[in-house]
Amino acid sequence: MSYLWEQLRAAVPLIWQGNGYIWGVTWVTIRVAAISTTCALVLGLPLGLGLGLGHFRGRRALQLLANASLALPPVLVGLFVLLLLLPPSLLGGLRIEFTLTGVYVAQTLLALPYVVALTPAALRALPPGLLDQARAFGAGRVAVALLALREARIGVLAAVIAALASTLSEVAAVIIVGANVENHDQTLASAIVSQLNDFDNIPYALAIGVILLTLILALIGALTAIQQRGRGFALRVPAR
Amino acid sequence: MSFLWHELRLAVPMIVHGNPYLLSIIWFTVQVAGIATAAATAIGLPIGVALGLGRFRGRRVLIWLANAGLALPPVLVGLILFLLFVPQGPLGGLRLELTRQGVFVAQAVLALPFVAALSAAAIMGLPAGLLAQARAFGAGPVALAALAVREARIGVIAAVIAALATTLSEVGAILIVGGNVYGYDQTLASAALYEVDAASFADALAIGIVLVALIVVLLGGLSLLQERGGGIRWRFRPLS
Repeated sequence: MSYLWEQLRAAVPLIWQGNGYIWGVTWVTIRVAAISTTCALVLGLPLGLGLGLGHFRGRRALQLLANASLALPPVLVGLFVLLLLLPPSLLGGLRIEFTLTGVYVAQTLLALPYVVALTPAALRALPPGLLDQARAFGAGRVAVALLALREARIGVLAAVIAALASTLSEVAAVIIVGANVENHDQTLASAIVSQLNDFDNIPYALAIGVILLTLILALIGALTAIQQRGRGFALRVPAR
Repeated sequence: MSFLWHELRLAVPMIVHGNPYLLSIIWFTVQVAGIATAAATAIGLPIGVALGLGRFRGRRVLIWLANAGLALPPVLVGLILFLLFVPQGPLGGLRLELTRQGVFVAQAVLALPFVAALSAAAIMGLPAGLLAQARAFGAGPVALAALAVREARIGVIAAVIAALATTLSEVGAILIVGGNVYGYDQTLASAALYEVDAASFADALAIGIVLVALIVVLLGGLSLLQERGGGIRWRFRPLS
């Protein structure tokens, strides 16, 4: 136990006194989490609403596909993104392989299935009469979609929480697409992997681990608090 | 597109002709998935049942902990196990670091919260009257637990599916605890990562295709069992 204690004692000053490397990694992680979750929401919410509310051919097949994509290993998502981004390939002209921009893209694609698959599940749980009533009162598509989002906000927030958690904790896509370059596109999670390659750096890995855990608890705790309060407060809907 | 196509054309013969390296990784991955999921179920299901049925102090805290375990990044689990398993660490005597047994333990620990938290949720979702009735008819704790698991079987199987998917696709803990040693303790997911690092994209694609096939077969099989489980009658001993 004394060994663990020793390592932990060495890690504490790295957190308190602020280590340039660790703050850099933390800042990159916050940017990746914010940008990728936002992009996943912007792309995924319309898709999720379409799947949840739409009546069209192939809707069930698309829902099945969205659910299946939740089980897709991050390693494979990373592999496909990298193969598309390498110079001889389709999107090779963008030159964003092994850059932070590439990491944003990979983490967005990883977070997307959570939003697309879990939003329709939340909408499906709404009382069936509610949306029909809104339609009968002449609500247009946009108004119905807004109403559905508002009513299913607890489930939609759960989807956001899942998406955010995946952008914070996944490493495979970051290592593959970003190459885990120190001081450039490392996230807290992928930095732990690279620090543990050297036994002398265990205190760094521990300090980074503590910060990652704190960040996850703070962000997910805050979103969960909003979710639980969301039961009570009413968002304004524009009068029709 | 020709680049992707070229790599894909190289990958297909490796799968069709049964490359021995590939076969050994497949076998190890199946072992990891089987052993880790079985261990997680053996330990996690009793915990889930106790959390779902029990009336004891600290139950809510434990449920919260199990749910929080779902959001724990695999790299953090890997970091904690690494520190326990290093020769100077508390469990250093077990010599699990950089071994296959260490990978089994890491993936079982990762899968545990899925079984415990999701089976507890499934049991808590049962109609309240059902279990109260069984208690009133004099069912003991074991009979009650068996009844609860039987009635909540769809949710319990969903928990096992989630656990299995984690053991198949996560790499964070394997990279740290197992060291991703070529030809020894690589799973399909971590081997794909290794091959990408070596710029052997065709090998990585071949491994990725096999991994997707394995996930589809295993998760699809369990999902079928789950669907049929709605109808299957499990034998149940009469109460007292």
